[in-house]
Amino acid sequence: MSQKLLEVKNLKQHFKTGRRSVVKAVDGISFDIYKGETFGLVGESGCGKSTTGRTIIRLYEATDGDVIFNGINVHDKKSKSHLKEFNQKMQMIFQDPYASLNPRMTVLDIIAEGLDVHGLVKNEKERKKRVEDLLEQVGLNKEHANRYPHEFSGGQRQRIGIARALAVDPEFIIADEPISALDVSIQAQVVNLLKDLQEQYDLTYLFIAHDLSMVKYISDRIGVMYFGKLVELADSDELYKNPVHPYTKSLLSAIPLPDPDYERTRNRIVYDPNQHDTTEEPELREISPNHWVLCTTKEFEAYKQELK
Amino acid sequence: MENILEVNDLHISFDTYGGEVKAVRGVSFNLKKGETLAIVGESGSGKSVTTRAIARLIPNPPGRIKEGEILFEGKDLTKLKEKQMQQIRGKEISTIFQDPMTSLNPTMKIGTQIMEGLIKHQKMSRSEAKSRTVELLDLVGLPNAKERVDQYPHQFSGGQRQRVVIAIALACNPKILIADEPTTALDVTIQAQILELMKDIQKKTESSIIFITHDLGVVANVADRVAVMYAGKIVEIGTVDEIFYNPKHPYTWGLIGSMPTLDNTEESLVAIPGSPPDMLNPPKGDAFAPRNEYALEIDFEMDPPMFQVSDTHYAATWLLHENAPKIEPPASVKRRMKGMASGMIANSDQGGEQS
Repeated sequence: MSQKLLEVKNLKQHFKTGRRSVVKAVDGISFDIYKGETFGLVGESGCGKSTTGRTIIRLYEATDGDVIFNGINVHDKKSKSHLKEFNQKMQMIFQDPYASLNPRMTVLDIIAEGLDVHGLVKNEKERKKRVEDLLEQVGLNKEHANRYPHEFSGGQRQRIGIARALAVDPEFIIADEPISALDVSIQAQVVNLLKDLQEQYDLTYLFIAHDLSMVKYISDRIGVMYFGKLVELADSDELYKNPVHPYTKSLLSAIPLPDPDYERTRNRIVYDPNQHDTTEEPELREISPNHWVLCTTKEFEAYKQELK
Repeated sequence: MENILEVNDLHISFDTYGGEVKAVRGVSFNLKKGETLAIVGESGSGKSVTTRAIARLIPNPPGRIKEGEILFEGKDLTKLKEKQMQQIRGKEISTIFQDPMTSLNPTMKIGTQIMEGLIKHQKMSRSEAKSRTVELLDLVGLPNAKERVDQYPHQFSGGQRQRVVIAIALACNPKILIADEPTTALDVTIQAQILELMKDIQKKTESSIIFITHDLGVVANVADRVAVMYAGKIVEIGTVDEIFYNPKHPYTWGLIGSMPTLDNTEESLVAIPGSPPDMLNPPKGDAFAPRNEYALEIDFEMDPPMFQVSDTHYAATWLLHENAPKIEPPASVKRRMKGMASGMIANSDQGGEQS
């Protein structure tokens, strides 16, 4: 496989919610993302998948653990210029295209903000040219540059968000539920756009979502999160063909598919968190090549039997 | 089966500064007792406006029902006075709204919000209403109903709140339940629970459901019949099998093609190009024509009428006209039409043994 772009090692993100209570949003997860791939992170709301994304890009300071990007620890103390460089290489696309664009700024200024911060353009003319190129790249018109966000539909706004992320020439983009607020036909447009851009610019994605069929479609590898922990990690085909962890099974069995015959016979599996062996602390174990499951030694044997 | 609701040639417009927005442009359908009709379409296609009109929830001004009738058990709802409508809304016809986070009053206890309808419509006393409320919360699967009636919405999770909203809608045993994207804001596992719950309740109460959604997976799960809306019109209507296995309208092909299947990743999704038309100035002819790669010349001139495919299946596309060229749906859609999820079925069988 190609080289590692991002390594997440035992990352923890705990939020203090009171004097004594602590919410362990992300509780010790580790995974690697390779250059040029799309890594999907799925789970239900509240499982910590967005927090993971935000901690990786340093919107939150990690409680514990390391995020290593291109060999450099993201959460180390950095000089301003270092930080800038890092911010340029890693960008984010947000979920809600209505809330993530400043309503008082024109599209031109929204997209060019990154360019200005990083000093990537020399003069006004170049700035405008770059933004217009970006707009066309994401399927909008250059005439759109002088408009305000409220003049656009959800899908168009998401395209603006993508153009903003692309503006500074990033290597790695964290897409936090970029399509869940959009209509089905528009979702397909945006996903196709993301795929095209990935090919064109050799981008690496961390794709966070709860829509499993879309995640399966776009990702090379998928991690399933439950309550702040990574419970299963595998190539996307492998994960859908041979889910091992009971939570993954339950999640997969809950996806409604556009096929009435299948829906009539669908058997939903209910996940009971109490079914696990509690004699020891579970850890991620490799059950088949590149397929990792969170389990105890006893469970590991049982899962292995099952896979045969 | 008898029709409980008939909508005939409904036109709804909104007056805005920019001019008249024709949100619904001639919608006709009927709803039978005990069935679930799903309405699918993009945002702005008029699906929510149509159903809000049925519950008479369109604010006037700016909205107005220009033409058409909505017959509920023979009564035309468009002609009723607001006072009369209040006897029907919430009692005979009730609505489950999309966002459980905003459709509950944050300053009122859950119990009080459910009791409102019972006291108003069923003329129950407070204590009767309260015990019925506890029953309702049990019915929708909220544990510890007795304690929870005195809690506030913020003490509930999203899925639980949606259950409360469903309990409010069910309080008076409505004959028609309008569910406007009831699961869009929820996680898949919670969504599956809520859908199971709604089907379960429908069996018990024999109510009819109009289910609005843009998720075709959900449609395949809940619907008996499906109406596909585009730009304020129904472009295709039929039983769920007809729509999924024998779709006729290019827009329906586009919708089906834009959903990824679980067993292929190679090809790119068939996105419908462009975006929905501006309803201030709907285009001449078929509104879908500019986005339709199969559009014929006549599509830009004249709106197609509804062609009959079978007794229950109608589609509004000139492709069904006898003089039209024979066009097959795109390969990716055709493949989905048969045994789309075969890969997944094997999986769920395995899992089924464990559950």
